Amino acid sequence: MTLLAQPRWPGAVGRSLGSVALVLVLWHLMALSVAGSYMLAGPVAVGQYLAENHVLIGRALWVTVQNAGWGFLAGNLAAIVLALIVALVPQSRMLVSAVALVVFCLPLVATGPVLRVLYGPGPGPQITLAALSVYFTTFIPLLVGLRAAPGNWFDMIRLYGRGTWSAFVHVRIMAAMPYLMAGLQVAAPAAFLGAMVGEFTGAERGLGVLTLRAMRGLDVEATWAIALVAASVSMLAYGAIGLLADRISPARPEILLATGTTPPRGPLALRALRGLTLVLATGAVLVGLWWLAMEVFALSRFFAKRPDDIWRYLVTAANAEAHRATLWAASQATLVQVVPGYLAGLGFGAGLALLLALAPVLAGAVLPLAIALRSVPIVATAPLIVLALGRGPVGTITIVAVMTFFPALVACIHGLRQAPGQALDLMRLYATNPLARLWHAQLPAMLPAFFAAARLSVPAAILAVTVAEWLATGRGLGALMAMTASTSDYNLLWSAILVVACGSALGYGLVGLVERAVLARVAPEQLRR
Amino acid sequence: MTQFDLSRRHLLGMGLGGISAMAFGARGLHAQTTQVALQLSWLHSVQFAGSYIADERGFWADRGLSVRLDAGGPNAPVEPPVVSGTALVGISAADYTAAAVQQGAPFRIIGVAMQNNPFAIASLPANPVNEPKDLEGKRIGMPLANMPVLRTLCTLNGVDIERIEVIPTQYDAAPLVAGEVDCLLCWSTDLPVAMFVRGIESVTMLMADFGYTLHSQTYIATDDSLAGRRADLVALMAGEVQGWEAYRADLDAATDLTLARFPDAGLDRPTQIEQARRQVPLMFSDLTDANGFGWWTDDTVAQNIETLALLGMPVEAALWDRSILEEVHG
Repeated sequence: MTLLAQPRWPGAVGRSLGSVALVLVLWHLMALSVAGSYMLAGPVAVGQYLAENHVLIGRALWVTVQNAGWGFLAGNLAAIVLALIVALVPQSRMLVSAVALVVFCLPLVATGPVLRVLYGPGPGPQITLAALSVYFTTFIPLLVGLRAAPGNWFDMIRLYGRGTWSAFVHVRIMAAMPYLMAGLQVAAPAAFLGAMVGEFTGAERGLGVLTLRAMRGLDVEATWAIALVAASVSMLAYGAIGLLADRISPARPEILLATGTTPPRGPLALRALRGLTLVLATGAVLVGLWWLAMEVFALSRFFAKRPDDIWRYLVTAANAEAHRATLWAASQATLVQVVPGYLAGLGFGAGLALLLALAPVLAGAVLPLAIALRSVPIVATAPLIVLALGRGPVGTITIVAVMTFFPALVACIHGLRQAPGQALDLMRLYATNPLARLWHAQLPAMLPAFFAAARLSVPAAILAVTVAEWLATGRGLGALMAMTASTSDYNLLWSAILVVACGSALGYGLVGLVERAVLARVAPEQLRR
Repeated sequence: MTQFDLSRRHLLGMGLGGISAMAFGARGLHAQTTQVALQLSWLHSVQFAGSYIADERGFWADRGLSVRLDAGGPNAPVEPPVVSGTALVGISAADYTAAAVQQGAPFRIIGVAMQNNPFAIASLPANPVNEPKDLEGKRIGMPLANMPVLRTLCTLNGVDIERIEVIPTQYDAAPLVAGEVDCLLCWSTDLPVAMFVRGIESVTMLMADFGYTLHSQTYIATDDSLAGRRADLVALMAGEVQGWEAYRADLDAATDLTLARFPDAGLDRPTQIEQARRQVPLMFSDLTDANGFGWWTDDTVAQNIETLALLGMPVEAALWDRSILEEVHG
């Protein structure tokens, strides 16, 4: 595709056609192997279905594409605004990131009813959910990108006697472009998926509605025809953004020179105290925002619980202890899955990116598959994964990995391209072997993007585990949250959301600490703000 | 909503009731229509065909009501929009309503569309579940949210639930067909129909035949609406009753109307007509023949209360409020 191999006519076309053929053959074989199970339809049956139902699918596609498009715009715009706020007012970083993180943590079981009540019938919830599913994966890389500028560019600006504003416009924004493009590429399939899943909140039409209908109706051809359409549209959008990125990004990344000076810092105790104060203040602001949002929209306390409802439920109510015990047991069950799931998703994404760096020929086959995995609702793919790998740890961790690896893959691919051109030339000149080139030049260049991926994978993995629990294991927080639909136990739901949000923030913070420690050694200029 | 429907509402809204009255019979000439919404419990399908008939044939318009039919979905619970007032009435189920009331929602059941509970155990003829005892030693696939349902069925029939292996699946017949499970906990009107249409024979054991007495597809409204918007509630329920009677009289017409009204919903006729047939015995009984659609007696409520107690939801008989139906049928 456009990322790794520069498209060279006609070799690239041949390779693309070859990989399409390969995918079709693999798909056909897989369908044969599960024939009669009503879980996967092969390319022939799917083609037939599409030929017969292209009008229906076309209308549904148009509905979903529009919602996804508006969500894509709104979500990415929000991400850009948030990132610019942080870049211009660095003091706001923790608060803005925390709000972004917490909003991203809200599961569909909670947002669905709230959005439907807020918007009524119509595309509002679908668009909002599409936006919600893209903004975080753009915001985090952008935040990193705005810092990942070569030190000598700043020196140049200073040399010319220009101020911070010039540095911002000419250096930071330019340096952030590749990261923005990575974010947009991740956002394309995510927006589509978000719009489809958004239709689960009571939409009348669209591909998500058709998926639900097809799955309940054992209409396996329809399910996979929709999956194919969703994947194709996502691939097109991904490819188009890739082409745009190639035009915008500087052709050869510059060397990120370390300045070697770390800013002076106070004694440890003082820093810890300051950090703690900041964390507490952020938490207080978040709780305030939570309460305010629900009051402003006058949402009913029946399903939109306020902080004091949850306090009562978990602390002062007569059976608060039992509530806490339920929640604690579920959290533990979830935690056991989260760490391996997180590592699997991140490792799979980063590993694939490294593989593609070593063997770019594979890109044509791997990337379409990756995008397909990302743009098909997990409700359609999970039964297949479960059938192949079971409901044990392997199956659930695979579901989590499938749901989370994509942002890591794309971020790392873009990160690997940040290896300085001159350094790579020099190494090629000396016929350094590709592994050494990867280790000494590309890997360090990838680190900032990798850590961006590591951060945003935290809430993504936790959410994915709750989905896997709902779809496959029936344990943990995910199962608790799914029960809300029949029990109306919104206290329990919002308590679970609180746990998910706190857990995500904690994990996010931990990754941040690791990032600082690693970058301090290999890329200190990026810690300068 | 169809274009036709919108334009009709528009006309009514502009006070040109005469045109509408000519088109839909001049039984009631209302200069003003009240806009309300009915929150459905799932995606549009023949499951709600009675409501579509009520809308298309003007059963509501005749009574000065314009009813928006809001689709449901997996992440669109019925209770929040009804609590919020977005919808005047919602289509819930006795157990869902009881749970919501436990959580503080001020609901009353004002009508019962499904006298018999649609929950069933579906299995394949080679390894059938004909009665609850057959469940022992089998693997059952179901969404875990339905655990209380299975537990209650077991309690009612002296089945050892420990001897049933519960596999958490999505609401989908594929695991049964693929042999991953031996049976499914589902509605008798959806997954078995999907298998039937695909030519897969299945055995359906209706839980209502084994003591699981629980009203389903119940109409719910808030105490506030019952106090302040009685006329609207009566008009809405009267339209529903009339619509469902018309549905029963002509299932084909009801199915065709559903298909025509929702061309984008991906509905197919074989599935819809079969579902339409299978829900008739759940919705109509001697009780409704004698008293009218949606009715219940103190006896059926008492049975419901027993089942709900087993489900862990103690409720009072006052959860059911028949005053609206009494006005409709009276």
